[in-house]
Amino acid sequence: MSDGPTHEDADTWRSVRDNAGSWDLAGEIPRTVLSGLGAAGVLCAEVQKQYGGLGMGSLESGALTARVGSLCSSLRSVMTSQGMAAWTIHRMGTREQRAAFLPQLTGGRLAAVAFSEPEAGSDLDAMGTEVRFVDDAVVVDGSKTWITAAAYADLIVVVGKVGDNAAAVVVPTDTEGVTVEKVPHPLGCRAAGHARVRLDGVRLPAANVLGGSGQSLPFLITTALAYGRMSVAWGCVGILRGCLDAVTRHARSRRQFGKPIAEHQLVARMVAEIYAAERVATAVCGHAGECWESGSPEVVIATVLAKHVSATQAVRGAASAVQVMASAGASDGHVVARAYRDAKLMEIIEGSSEICQLELARHALATANTTDRQP
Amino acid sequence: MIPEQQTDRAPLNTDVVIDEITRFVAEQTRTTPDADQDLFATGLANSMFAMQLVVFLEQAFAVTVAGPDLQLFNFSTVKSMATLVGRLQAESAADGDV
Repeated sequence: MSDGPTHEDADTWRSVRDNAGSWDLAGEIPRTVLSGLGAAGVLCAEVQKQYGGLGMGSLESGALTARVGSLCSSLRSVMTSQGMAAWTIHRMGTREQRAAFLPQLTGGRLAAVAFSEPEAGSDLDAMGTEVRFVDDAVVVDGSKTWITAAAYADLIVVVGKVGDNAAAVVVPTDTEGVTVEKVPHPLGCRAAGHARVRLDGVRLPAANVLGGSGQSLPFLITTALAYGRMSVAWGCVGILRGCLDAVTRHARSRRQFGKPIAEHQLVARMVAEIYAAERVATAVCGHAGECWESGSPEVVIATVLAKHVSATQAVRGAASAVQVMASAGASDGHVVARAYRDAKLMEIIEGSSEICQLELARHALATANTTDRQP
Repeated sequence: MIPEQQTDRAPLNTDVVIDEITRFVAEQTRTTPDADQDLFATGLANSMFAMQLVVFLEQAFAVTVAGPDLQLFNFSTVKSMATLVGRLQAESAADGDV
């Protein structure tokens, strides 16, 4: 083994825990930390061993994501991006492309996936980024915004339109015509490297187009987002675990009116609700993870449900956590202050709560006329 | 990630594949489609359901649908899915890999 960090090494996570607050304040995670974790395979843990990955299943990877999420949502967001890039390459790419790109993502290079644009958020069909095939090359023109981890990325999987179709192109950020500009002062996940990405006549070999040709935009979106949503959902479980840990310790030791505040019933209720939120989020994520592992078609809707429920619970739980901690947790950098800001972004990213609700409603309506639902 | 599957099943008769896919679509949409019916044009399916179809085909028929095969037209009718399954099974039998 190398002497870099590994996911089994308690020191690795102690160091993340100790530094997460200062990364949040600085708006940046040191590059060496990210490339170290990347080279240990931690940032995209589901990549198969043949490509240098850890080969984790969905549930084990989820547990790791929740662990990182309980310590630092910025780092967890970087993991989500790296994992989504790897998954998109794995799913949409050819065998040659998997062999060419995946070992880079487990070797310390960092990656992001670029969908959203100034005029195309939830409505990705409105995207204006263009991919043109010119001889055996492609030329990419467009502008992407709020791309998580793009400020750190060596490679960005850029999604654009090819006529009525779409294509995902692996774009090295040092290619001529690529400009990456950090989003100043994001509300949450402040050290996740959110950036605007401009592509001006970026020319690359056609071999960088995943699958070699145009693909269906809905498929591309659904594929990449499926992984991203699962990762965000487990990240929200982590947010709730971080909050529960801080709140229970504080409520037992902080005394007001002559007793620990945990013995005040209104405080105890908030502790109960944070605990319930963590358990509910864990259960929906666990169910979705089992669907991923068994290859059940239910995976699609179970993943949307996990993302929606976990993000909503994390927002509520983090707000209660700040309330219980009060002045002890009300400074930027504190675990519950970060949770409060970070959780809110989780209701927006990878399909807003409203988009998830539309998908859940559509599913419920399509499968109506039955009370015989699966356990 | 989903391991690259190898089939240890003999390629199935197309009618059997069509029946199995039809049963799944009916179960999920409460509507039994004709084998030629365009599931997207008739509103039975959207991109979320398409992904569900991908995972279903992979699990039910031990194939891997990746890369250039992830095209909506491959999933537009029960028949087109059965054709895709037949081709992928033949390819993996010839190739031993994906």
